[in-house]
Amino acid sequence: MVEPASVALKFAFLAILYLFLLWVARSALKDLRRGTVAGGMAVAPGHDRAPAASPDATGLHSAAQGVGIGGDTPRLVVTSVPGHQPGAAYDLVGDCTLGRGDVEIHLEDPFASGRHARLTRQGHVIVLEDLGSTNGTYLNEEPVQGPQPLHPGDRIRIGDSVFTFEDS
Amino acid sequence: MSARNRELFALIPASLLVTVGFAAVFIQEDELISDASLTYGGVFLGLCFVAHLIIRATLPDADPYLFPLVALLACFGLVMIYRIDETLAREQAQWFVIGLLVFAATILLLRRDYRVLERYRYTIALVGIVLLLLPRVPGIGAQVNGAYLGIDLGPIAFQPAELAKICIIIFLASYLRDTRQVLVQGARRFAGITFPPLKHLGPLLVVWGAAMVLLVFIRDLGSSLMFFGAFLAILYVATDRASFVVIGFSMFAFGAWFFASTVGHVADRIDAWQHPFDDELYEQVGGSYQIAQSLFAQADGGVAGAGFGQALIETSNGSPILPAAQTDLIYALITNELGLAGACGVLVVYLLVTERGMRIAMLAQDSFSTLLAAGLAAVFALQVFVIVGGVVKLIPLTGVTLPFISYGGSSIVANFILVALLLLISDRARREAAGR
Repeated sequence: MVEPASVALKFAFLAILYLFLLWVARSALKDLRRGTVAGGMAVAPGHDRAPAASPDATGLHSAAQGVGIGGDTPRLVVTSVPGHQPGAAYDLVGDCTLGRGDVEIHLEDPFASGRHARLTRQGHVIVLEDLGSTNGTYLNEEPVQGPQPLHPGDRIRIGDSVFTFEDS
Repeated sequence: MSARNRELFALIPASLLVTVGFAAVFIQEDELISDASLTYGGVFLGLCFVAHLIIRATLPDADPYLFPLVALLACFGLVMIYRIDETLAREQAQWFVIGLLVFAATILLLRRDYRVLERYRYTIALVGIVLLLLPRVPGIGAQVNGAYLGIDLGPIAFQPAELAKICIIIFLASYLRDTRQVLVQGARRFAGITFPPLKHLGPLLVVWGAAMVLLVFIRDLGSSLMFFGAFLAILYVATDRASFVVIGFSMFAFGAWFFASTVGHVADRIDAWQHPFDDELYEQVGGSYQIAQSLFAQADGGVAGAGFGQALIETSNGSPILPAAQTDLIYALITNELGLAGACGVLVVYLLVTERGMRIAMLAQDSFSTLLAAGLAAVFALQVFVIVGGVVKLIPLTGVTLPFISYGGSSIVANFILVALLLLISDRARREAAGR
């Protein structure tokens, strides 16, 4: 036998369930809308996203771009480096070393080692390698282990010094 | 409303559902309204509140909806299992408490930086593989319906695959973080599809081989599909190459077809799946009885359901009508008693959990976190797909659990670890996104 109270409770159960789901789904939608309006802002500053990437680029897209195309000289642009003008750029023609010592790209950074990291050209690709530095080299905020190929828009950080890699 | 206050507020409807659900079951079984249902609701709210306080203290910026959604699923599970069997529900409640403890322990242990997991990736992978193979070890392995999914150690029986899935996802996320850049180099475009060079199919082949070994060893198409699908999801997020997914699924389909036509047990399952109402298969031991009854039960539910306690689970002499109602077929039971409306509600909850997981993956700032969150969300979604798909006869029925709802300790504990990891990732991601 079906109790009327039981039927009422069943519908109460379903009503609570759906009201709750509606509330969560609405907040989720609001989240999504905020994400698109702000463009990259809320989400983007950070890893792997090339500044020039199309607006629909999600997350890890840029790994697929710009490998081995060549063209203009790849450049290392100063984002924020103590003692350097932001926006200044180094053309990466041959191999070069970054560090606090007597090297091609000199850093006035207490966290940099004498010979900290090296950029080498391998075919059409520029490869970043940490030279066993004390405080490590970070590619898009991830510690560099072994040689890492660079992609346009990659951020290289050594201590407080930040460079952006550009390649057209 | 701040994130944590939202979470606290959202726990109230979940606890109300426990109260209402238990009250409905009580009325149906004892024909009287007992205030015990209020007590259960209160205890449930108290437990969730304690977990909420732990999240508030350790992960102030974590996603606010994930935990209440999980509490809602657990509430569904407790009510439905109580409706089947009181003692089972008591055990399930104990497992729920143990799950919450493990949940809290995971958060406390990894709150400094969960990325230490990356350092132990090979150990974790090894643990995962050993766990997967344990059910085949003679003496402790247990065969259920022809599939080797559980192990039996006297008083404790559990499904190691549940824990293994988390280990495997952690390993894949950290492995692909390192190798993804290599995997997309030197690709060729042909007919509008980008094909990876042959040598980079290596990892794909290895994991495909592992999935096939799993299929033959464990004899369970569902868990094999779950692992391989999660791998493809992570691979896609890591490389942005749809060709890996297309190639992977074709390989999996081919392998599954090959073993379905050669391995006897798998072939039986396929037969039962395709012809559930065949007289001979229906009468056979381990035949199509279960899937056929599942379909009858769901059809009986209609749109609004038969009501709590109305489904026929066993005949008056105790032989089961709906076999394994508390584990494999719990989704069919929900459809029977709460109808299409209730079943859709459950699926929407799972959808929202997955959406939160993917959202966390998009917010995360470093690749390991992105891959880990995407992988965990994918494996969770696939597990639901595999079991619900089996129950509604979309794919062959297999023995994986419906996360947080099915009866079973290992499932609850493992999924609580999964949710704890997602919350850890989201706390860091949201804090960094807010610039704090």
